[in-house]
Formats: sequence, structure tokens, C-alpha cells
Amino acid sequence: MNSTAPAEGPGMKFFVAVWIGLMAIVGVEVFLTYRHLPPRELLVLLLALAFVEAGIALWYFMHLKFERAALVWSLVPAFIFVVFMMDHFWPDAFRMASMKLLER
Amino acid sequence: MEMAAGHHPIVMEKSPYGIPPGKLAMWCFVISDAVTFSAVLFAYGYLRVGSPDWIAPFQFFPTIVNGLVMTFVLLTSGLTMLAAVEAAKQGRTAAGTRWLWATCALGALFAVLHLLEWRRMLEEGWRLFQNPTGGSVHFGAAFFSVTGLHLLHVIGGVIALAIIAIGFARGKYNRIDVEITGIYWHFVDLVWMFVFPLVYLMNAK
Repeated sequence: MNSTAPAEGPGMKFFVAVWIGLMAIVGVEVFLTYRHLPPRELLVLLLALAFVEAGIALWYFMHLKFERAALVWSLVPAFIFVVFMMDHFWPDAFRMASMKLLER
Repeated sequence: MEMAAGHHPIVMEKSPYGIPPGKLAMWCFVISDAVTFSAVLFAYGYLRVGSPDWIAPFQFFPTIVNGLVMTFVLLTSGLTMLAAVEAAKQGRTAAGTRWLWATCALGALFAVLHLLEWRRMLEEGWRLFQNPTGGSVHFGAAFFSVTGLHLLHVIGGVIALAIIAIGFARGKYNRIDVEITGIYWHFVDLVWMFVFPLVYLMNAK
């Protein structure tokens, strides 16, 4: 990330290496899926890997690393705040599940 | 401060982001669209958590294997898009156009693979509110909504890429336009990085 002016990217060789890294992460995701872990554990691991992949794509493929810091600070915190606020709905989902189990 | 060309010079203030307005507009769109996808994925999570009868129906073959091939195709299209942007930056119009068409073709292939999978699922009896495995009827609604919204973005992107490729070859569009389209295409790629593990792998048998 540049604090003043946008910079140029690192070139195709680097991007090919990033692409190989992303494919490797997808491979790890499939490997973890067939370890038959408990769903909650698998969800945490898959989400963590997805965030790493998304971060890499955002930083290098979408060239956010090479833009001014002002752009990152204008966009990313607002998005994180909105997604964080969406988490308020989970207790209602658990209420739905417990009500359906009681009906049985 | 800079002066614009013309008979009456106008004092222009430089952008605090140092990028053209079109690129800033695309970034704003990407962030708002990311919120839309987040809401759809949260809704899927809500339905899943709230349905004790949720059954993970996907077999390794054909569904997960098809998902892996689709992931490979889409990630590779991200690489060809980067090649198009790099070529456009270096002023290599012919190479940039070729890479744009390659990205377009890979995007179209992804859409075809996705539609073939939908057809197979529909033949098995999956509908928006119908589950042939006997589990939660919300599975179809969640699956078709999340993947359908993403597929719409892919199809929109393929059309945009074709328009930009034609315009770039004819000199109507410049490297900034290619870069802006690239931001959109990588975003579509980025969304799939969440859709594949959450909607496919979390529903693998």
C-alpha cells in the first residue's frame, strides 16, 4: 500500500506464483473437507482459508496494494462494519433451530 | 492543483485517491456488491443454522469435482485478466485484446459448467423449495439463490469483457477501461472463493 501515489504492479511471474498459491489453498480446502471434521470446526477452517484467498486476490489481483492508502481506508473499514453488524441475526437462527427441534 | 486545457483555464483539484473517477466508481460498486453477497451468504447461513433437518447432499463426483473444475477455470480467468491489464499498460493492444478474449472464453466456460450442473440438479428433482433427498426444503432456495446471483455476475462480466475487448481493439477504450473491467472480474473471482467452500464443500457428503 502506498501512502502517496499509486505504484505499478510486480509483473506476470509474480501473479502466476500467486495463482499457484490460490490453487493450493483450494486443494487444502478440499483435503480438509474429506477429513470429516465436525461442521463447526470445518466452517472455521474453510472461512479462514477463504479470507486468506480473498485478501490475496484483493491485494494483488485487484491491485489494492498498489493504490493510495486513502482508498483502502475509505472502503475496507466500512465493509467490515456492515458485515459485523449482520452478525446480530445469528441468535434468531439458533432460536428457529431450537423451536423446530421442540416441535418434533 | 492543475490547469485544464481550453480557452478559459479552470483550476482542478487533484483526486485524494489518485485514481480516475471511473475506477473509484467501480471500487464503490464492488464494496456495495460485496455487501449484497455477504447478505445472501448470511441468509444461507441463517437458513442452514435454523434447519435441524439440513442434509449435506453433494457427492465428490460429480458435484465437488465439477466445482473444482469451475474454480480452476475462474481462477485461471483471473490470471488471463491480469495479463490483459499488464499488456494494456504496456501499450500492447493486440496482446491485451487476445487476453481479454481468453478471459471472456473462460468466463463463458464457467457459466456453461454451472448451467450443466443446474440442469443435472433439476433432473434429480431439486427445485427452489423442493428437496429430493428429504432434507430441508430451504437447501434449493439457498443454493440456487447464492449460485444464481454469482452466475448473473459472471454472465454480466462476460458481456462487459466482450464489449471492452472489441472497443479496446478499435481504440475506443483505453488501458484504464481494461483495468476497471479487471477490478470487476477479480471481484467475481473473489466471491467464488467464498461460494465454493461455503455452499459446495460445507455440503459435501
